[in-house]
Amino acid sequence: MTPVASWLQGLSRPSLPDEWEVKQLLARYDIPIPKSVRLLANAALPDLSFGEPYVVKVCSPDILHKTDRGGVKLNIRKETLAITVAEMRKLFPGEALLIEEQLKLSGSECIVGGLVDAEFGPAIMVGAGGILTELYKDVAFRLAPCTPQEAERMVEELKIAPLFEGFRGIRLDKKGLAAVLVASANLVADLGERFSQLDINPVGYAEGRFVALDGKLVLNPPA
Amino acid sequence: MRAKVDLTQLFKPRAIAVIGATAKASKVGRIVFQTLIRADRRVIPVHPTETTILGHPALARIEDLPADIDIAVIATGADRATEAAEACAKKGIPFIIPIAGGFSESGPAGKALEERLRAVVKKTGARILGPNTLGLFVPQERLDMIFVEHGDRALAQGGGVAFITQSGSVGVEALGLESTIGFGLRAFVGLGNKADLDEIDFMQHFADDPRATCVALYAEALPNGRAFLEAAEFVSRRKPVVVLKAGRTPTAAAAASSHTGRLAGSDRVVGGAFRQHGVQRVFDEEQLCDAARVLSMARIPKGNRVAVISPAGGYGVMATDYIEATDNHVPLTMAKLSDNTVERIRQVAPLFASLNNPVDLTASATDDMTVETLRAVVDDPGVDVVMCMALFAPPGITDGLIRRVSALAAEIDKPLVLVAQFGPFTYGHLTRFHDHGVIGYPSVARAVRAVRCLVERAQIVAQHGGHQ
Repeated sequence: MTPVASWLQGLSRPSLPDEWEVKQLLARYDIPIPKSVRLLANAALPDLSFGEPYVVKVCSPDILHKTDRGGVKLNIRKETLAITVAEMRKLFPGEALLIEEQLKLSGSECIVGGLVDAEFGPAIMVGAGGILTELYKDVAFRLAPCTPQEAERMVEELKIAPLFEGFRGIRLDKKGLAAVLVASANLVADLGERFSQLDINPVGYAEGRFVALDGKLVLNPPA
Repeated sequence: MRAKVDLTQLFKPRAIAVIGATAKASKVGRIVFQTLIRADRRVIPVHPTETTILGHPALARIEDLPADIDIAVIATGADRATEAAEACAKKGIPFIIPIAGGFSESGPAGKALEERLRAVVKKTGARILGPNTLGLFVPQERLDMIFVEHGDRALAQGGGVAFITQSGSVGVEALGLESTIGFGLRAFVGLGNKADLDEIDFMQHFADDPRATCVALYAEALPNGRAFLEAAEFVSRRKPVVVLKAGRTPTAAAAASSHTGRLAGSDRVVGGAFRQHGVQRVFDEEQLCDAARVLSMARIPKGNRVAVISPAGGYGVMATDYIEATDNHVPLTMAKLSDNTVERIRQVAPLFASLNNPVDLTASATDDMTVETLRAVVDDPGVDVVMCMALFAPPGITDGLIRRVSALAAEIDKPLVLVAQFGPFTYGHLTRFHDHGVIGYPSVARAVRAVRCLVERAQIVAQHGGHQ
């Protein structure tokens, strides 16, 4: 059984995974994610196993553009966490929240994604990330599944490829990003007919590895 | 991978029947018959009322055909073509080629007719090429059923390009364009509506055809996308595969709610999928033919270092700009000539020549200088590909350069690509070079693009395995 099947069964709302659930799936494929806790509506704030600063986000498959709606709070200290949680709950009544460790990012952000091409089927993408992603369109595609060698070639095709080769002292981990791509491709392939779209955006570089900072997965209803 | 269809008899038929052959002027049935009887094989016309067609006795009924017919070309309209196909299949003819349009491309009635053709295949095991197709042209077999102009002069000599095209017009227009220079054609296959045989079947056939040295494909829809890529990768391990995929499919880009979906636009996935499977991609018919010509004829370079030789500085500078352009996934670089090479060039070059790459022999260049300089750069281990401007304006350059460069090209193990440009004489020179097996283009941009195709092929061989 692939890691997908049991994950699908465990979703709180069938076919509509929230960010926490998507990240749990990514973790099953060994894609690094930040330490996090999902706080369901009305649940009490637990003791956290990770340190400040925190990120507090609304965690709902119904809210697509959470940043635009004030659904992401950064740089939260331990002493203001409870207040922030209360404020967010007022803003998004009835929704779950996600409390994550806030990682120290360095280098450039990337986007990793997946989609289904009408003729060729499931495919994955890597690109230069951040808010200008759709402006620069610095992206490369391959079909899923995808070998580590092909995944590295995808990275080499990007205009930001020099950032992986020491451009101005920056040397991002090409093999690490390629591993995220291979894992994403496997995930997409394993989802089969259920898969529609995947965005891991951004994928940030923190403490020498690429980490999925946000994840969105659109599923097709079961046949 | 899909099981290979044995197409041997299609490309080497014992005898051919032309259903709907006629003596009536300007009818497709006449042109097809007239073209086919040039082949050195038996061609039998079938017509319900005409008893003699262009001097050949005709049969009235398909049922009366002899047993050794391997291809039935059907030149009638869609309605009668469907009935004829049924009769041919019943007769046991293995390959049926309905030429007419008026099938699935034309509406519900035509769709129903095409369904009937599919049923013929299913029921009898006969295989159908088309409908709505120009059929086949195999110069070495003198097998030609194309009923429109198709740049025959240079094509008739044959060559290595297996040219498979979904659109007949794009195919013949492209061949016409390329045959002004020369184009080595192994076979032309018009796929038409692909009611049965499709690009995968023909690619698999040409993979095993030793005379086919490159597969070129024009396709609009690739409905069996994964199966196509699998077959293409299989072929690519043996010979280059270059594809012009036209007609961008909406991946529901507009409706996509993800960044990824929007970034994919309409066909960015295609480029990635092709690279993943060793397929070289081009974007118009000129690029398709230019790529096929060089890939079918030239040796594969060991690297991407290009040396440029010119009797005109400007051409060297232009070539350098194109070679060093960075907006491409196949980088080229200007070769650094060794001291020894530079010294050898100095021995033969005029006083004011520029001895480093791009080598400028100036308008004082002669045939001797050009050939000796070519020899010097070819011998340089730091050079992988040689580009030479074969310009005939300098007084010291004579017609003899064609023979001498051709002789040199035949004995070297590095690819040589020429640019010839001088008004109306260009094509004449390029054609003569082509006839001697030397690859040339009438512009710097096209020549550099051809070099890039070769280097891309070298990358594919290195990454995916394979030879050539």
